[in-house]
Amino acid sequence: MRLTRYDEVRAIASDILGVPAAFLNASSSPDTIESWDSVQHLNLVVALEEKFGLQLSPEEIEQMKTLGDTAKLIESKLQTSPR
Amino acid sequence: MAIVIQPYRQEHEAAVQEFNRGLRAASDPNLVFSQTAVPRWLPPANDNPVWNEFYVAVDGSQKDGSPKAAVTVRGAYALKQEVLFVRGKGLHHIACYHHPLSTGIVDRSFASVGALLARDALARQPLLYALGMGGMERPIAKMLKALGFSLTPIPFYFRVVHPARFLREVRALRTGAWRASLMDIAAASGAGWLAIKSAQAATSLRSRSPKASGKVIVEERAEFSDWADELWALVKETVSFATVRDANTLRLLYPPNFSSDIASTRTLRMSRNGSAIGWAIIGQRRKDAKFGAMRVGSIVDCWALPENASTVIRAATRALEKDGVDLIVSNQSHGAWCGALEKAGFLKGPSTFIFAASKELTKLLQPTQGNPASFHITRADGDGLPVNF
Repeated sequence: MRLTRYDEVRAIASDILGVPAAFLNASSSPDTIESWDSVQHLNLVVALEEKFGLQLSPEEIEQMKTLGDTAKLIESKLQTSPR
Repeated sequence: MAIVIQPYRQEHEAAVQEFNRGLRAASDPNLVFSQTAVPRWLPPANDNPVWNEFYVAVDGSQKDGSPKAAVTVRGAYALKQEVLFVRGKGLHHIACYHHPLSTGIVDRSFASVGALLARDALARQPLLYALGMGGMERPIAKMLKALGFSLTPIPFYFRVVHPARFLREVRALRTGAWRASLMDIAAASGAGWLAIKSAQAATSLRSRSPKASGKVIVEERAEFSDWADELWALVKETVSFATVRDANTLRLLYPPNFSSDIASTRTLRMSRNGSAIGWAIIGQRRKDAKFGAMRVGSIVDCWALPENASTVIRAATRALEKDGVDLIVSNQSHGAWCGALEKAGFLKGPSTFIFAASKELTKLLQPTQGNPASFHITRADGDGLPVNF
């Protein structure tokens, strides 16, 4: 089965935040996930950049308000600048 | 885009005060950023080799994305721009990343601000470091590690001058009523005095070395001049790297007329046979809950050839003891200074004073970056001793 971009992002977030993937959804955010603090936000940024081979700008980092936003952002980045 | 990081200007001062109020109310009252856009300590000026720059993360839009009438500050940080000497590689402009603060500390909706600040600083100066941070487990240290910084603890030393007072006051050791009572008994009976003095004497005996010939003169010097330049040039080749400590830089770092309500420093110059052999900056630390009511002296900074390090440390220790301090502390990386502290009866304690070097800086500092004994970092590096905000 092919994973969607959201599934991939959710798996990375699950690993970084130490939360089972089943407990994460598109609305998950620092407000709803206890371990999603500023340090883990940065870890998530770095992990996404490494996994997808891209660089997130300050504007894009700020757009990562929820897991759903993050997956959409990554998808859009990958479509405009394919690896 | 909602949040933009830009140089801190006078027009942001009211918003920074509001930002500080928010942090103070919801977390640590000591978390405040500079109330003034122009740094009190090390303001930028033409031709200065070291200066501070402040940046603020400004949020100009409301939650629905529409523009705000007035800006809100969501974060801030400082860069201390300075020059680093690296043996065999010359001088390099670097910056110290300090006082990063974010609304994310108190409002998780702004968890991204910490990342924005750190990455903005790295974009402005890839040769970046941070110092102190309170230990490897603190958020700032973890964040820098996530960004690929290499982290090295800088050794911490202390010498107890008045053991009875130390045992009564030192909060970090007095955890639990049982332990506190035991320390009260030790303080009252003299057992604690004996134990501490014995440990310090044993350290000192283990590290004795022959004395150099010639009488050492110690004097308080208001200003660094040519003699400090000569010492800088002579000593720098004995360290793998150090931030520049020539007379011009030292005059800026330790201005004779700088006044602060929470920190003060004195400069000691040591000479033998008429020639300067070293200098030390000593001072009394601001009140800190973990030290109770103790007067805590600090050997903040020092510079001398390795063979003269002991002379400098002994003179600085005597001067602080004469001031009546109860405890003397120092953070020193270089092996010669660590050895000198041990010779003067200092004990090594756990260090929360961390040197974090960015990937680019780590590359520049290879192969010695992970070996603190070869480089010269003290409590005076980084954001410096005076708490300038």
